[in-house]
Amino acid sequence: MKEVMAIVRLNAMNKTKKALADAGITSITARDALGRGKGLIDLQILKGAEKGYEEAISQLGGSQRLIPKRMVTIIVPDKLVDKTVRTLIKTNQTGKPGDGKIFVLPVMDSISVRTGLNGDVTLDDVE
Amino acid sequence: MLMIRSIIRPEKVDATLAALMEAGFPAVTKISVVGRGKQRGIKIGEITYDEIPKDLLMTVVPEKDKDFVIRTIIKAARSGDKGAFGDGKIFISPVEEVYTISSGVKETAGGEIQEVKI
Repeated sequence: MKEVMAIVRLNAMNKTKKALADAGITSITARDALGRGKGLIDLQILKGAEKGYEEAISQLGGSQRLIPKRMVTIIVPDKLVDKTVRTLIKTNQTGKPGDGKIFVLPVMDSISVRTGLNGDVTLDDVE
Repeated sequence: MLMIRSIIRPEKVDATLAALMEAGFPAVTKISVVGRGKQRGIKIGEITYDEIPKDLLMTVVPEKDKDFVIRTIIKAARSGDKGAFGDGKIFISPVEEVYTISSGVKETAGGEIQEVKI
């Protein structure tokens, strides 16, 4: 059992949800998050700074700004990790900085609150 | 790779982010959370406040940088010299794989780097 935690763009959420549902991974948790990455500069700000806009130039230095993102958490059985990651990369990849990161973490157990069952039966199962 | 989740005071977030940036770990995700700790919240008169607002900072670092990053966070997020109740907790969990969506590069815990073909 693994936890796939992805930080994605806000405007990519709808197609991400659709792609995951199409792939059979229906149960997800999403929440708002703010973040920054390796500190690469936003292309638009750089362009603005080149044109001499003061506002853009002031945003260049120090880069402390946190950018709004969506954090998607999906718990999947081991065999579905690859499929989930591929689906996420495929739908979210634009090739520009800021597309996000995907982390894969181990999960010890999952228990359904309604039935009390635990283990892989509580998760999405795709043949 | 390790995920460092630190729950800290909201007013210490700016200082911690600046310290992490200075230390060379700019990549951070911030989420606001509410919670209580060992002191069971704060009791003022008759009223107990047990949903105290905190901020959760999430950062993923290589194993060798763990101690350095933790020390950086503790130093920046502690209130005063000795610290106080409510300064927060830091949790460490293992991360097996990290994917960068824009390039499709995959990094594993062992340090191998490969590109995922879509």
